[in-house]
Amino acid sequence: MIPGGFAQHGIGGAKDLPLPPELAIAGAVAALAVSFGVLSLAWRHPRYDGREPGRVLGRPAWVGLSDLTASSGWHVAMRTIGLVFFCFGAFAAVFGQDLLTNPVFGMFYVWWWVGLPVASLLLGPVWRAVSPVRTIHAAVGRLTGDPDRGLYTYPERLGYWPAALGLLAFVWIELVYPHGTELGPVRLWCAVYVGLMLIGGAVFGSTFYERADPFEVYSTLLSKLSIWARTDDSGDDGRLLVRSPLANLATVEVRPGLAGVVAVLFGSTAFDSFRDSTPWVKLIQGTDVSAYLLNNLALLAFCVLVGLVFMTGTMATGVEPGTRRASLPDVFAHSIVPIVAGYIVAHYLTYLVEVGQQTLILASDPLSNGSNLFGTAGWSVNYAISYHPTALATAKVIAVVLGHVVGVIAAHDRALTVLPERHRITGQLPLLVAMVAFTIGGLYLLFAA
Amino acid sequence: MLRTLASATVLTVAILGLTACGDDDSSGSDGDSTTPVTIDVTFEGGTVTPNGERVEVKTGQPVELSITADAAGEIHVHGDPEQTLDYGEGTSTAEIEPIDQPGVVDVESHDLDVVIVQLEVS
Repeated sequence: MIPGGFAQHGIGGAKDLPLPPELAIAGAVAALAVSFGVLSLAWRHPRYDGREPGRVLGRPAWVGLSDLTASSGWHVAMRTIGLVFFCFGAFAAVFGQDLLTNPVFGMFYVWWWVGLPVASLLLGPVWRAVSPVRTIHAAVGRLTGDPDRGLYTYPERLGYWPAALGLLAFVWIELVYPHGTELGPVRLWCAVYVGLMLIGGAVFGSTFYERADPFEVYSTLLSKLSIWARTDDSGDDGRLLVRSPLANLATVEVRPGLAGVVAVLFGSTAFDSFRDSTPWVKLIQGTDVSAYLLNNLALLAFCVLVGLVFMTGTMATGVEPGTRRASLPDVFAHSIVPIVAGYIVAHYLTYLVEVGQQTLILASDPLSNGSNLFGTAGWSVNYAISYHPTALATAKVIAVVLGHVVGVIAAHDRALTVLPERHRITGQLPLLVAMVAFTIGGLYLLFAA
Repeated sequence: MLRTLASATVLTVAILGLTACGDDDSSGSDGDSTTPVTIDVTFEGGTVTPNGERVEVKTGQPVELSITADAAGEIHVHGDPEQTLDYGEGTSTAEIEPIDQPGVVDVESHDLDVVIVQLEVS
């Protein structure tokens, strides 16, 4: 989980202990039991999909909160927050020093990559609300015409693929690139990101951000596990609703590339766990083959493997005459999102809490000249989580198993609407096996590393 | 039906929770945590032995590196806080400050850019 490639000076210190074997096995058994329990005992008519149009699931939230979050003042406040973080990060990246104490590294690898998804799990689609590239695009667009429309319409067949590539680009600099903890590369990555996002927004309009901004796709995908929704889901108007994460999950927009996004998220986190394991460390260090090449290949291999296992799991079933088998992975990809979320929480929890605090402390001194802008420079990190390894390990297993449970239920519900009557139960088996494989694989990596 | 699933999940979670209560953070306090663990480290011609092994140590247990090197160098211990140990050519010993916080700590050679050992502190 330490960025900057192998054996570099990452921005984390100690890593988590591996899971005790009893706990990992208990988790695996629970995952298996729940999977087959759901398959045999769960409902036979879809609860979250295929409802009559106009029938909205969920309870309206408190009117005050609904009005507040729909107000223009709120939107302005959110955009300002995003811009403030952006400007501060840019300031530290451009004028700060190339030392590990530059807060930009913590902002990039911890606050943005882990903090944002966790915030989205709790609060809804955060990046859509705060995204500085959207703000800049909207500001420029307002001067030159309609910001929502671009020169061309975003091609439907492109779907989420650009976002999948963007996420791959991030995990590459986080996990593989040996100079990921030097200021120049991080600065360049951010500059290219901003540039591509602004160009894309100009060419395709604001739809580009919904489909191709890796952070917006990531944030919105995880926000489908939160309890928040709006009656008018396309914008930020309509009434605020509180509803079951399962009902929310069913509203993930199915587009080409969704399975790719999920495969990159899960595969990269699995690779992150794997590369700290003793067998991999010894392999990389013991051979003359370039470690850089091996790490690149392994990252790609993990993402592709997850994708292939998922594709096989979803496509190995009978289909209705009108359904294209190749569309099934994207149709079912939403059910992997809870497994991804559970695994991300298990893998990054300590990192977020401890290195996140450290970044807050370093943020008071962006230029590394001894200043104390926000008064946090004298604070010390609270390592309480690390001092309770058993409780931490239990929390990790619970997160992974819970993610698995939600995923299996979501897959079951989707199968009831998509698969033909004859294959409604048997058709789910391959996907179930794939999901059990992911969860047990994830638990094994948490145990072996 | 939903109730059955819900109760099954709660039961599972409860079982896992009970597992956690059974063995809480006592692995560091018993046993002899004052005798140092000695690790023999040999630097020879651009490689180092051990090469990425995992060594279990107890919290608060001192670790001694017994180094045989053909050139001087620097070892970094990636704990919280980080430690830097310098060694000279020939045989020497370097002491790693006892680590109180449970976790996996990389001990790496700064010059060769490889992990010598991973200390599993628990």
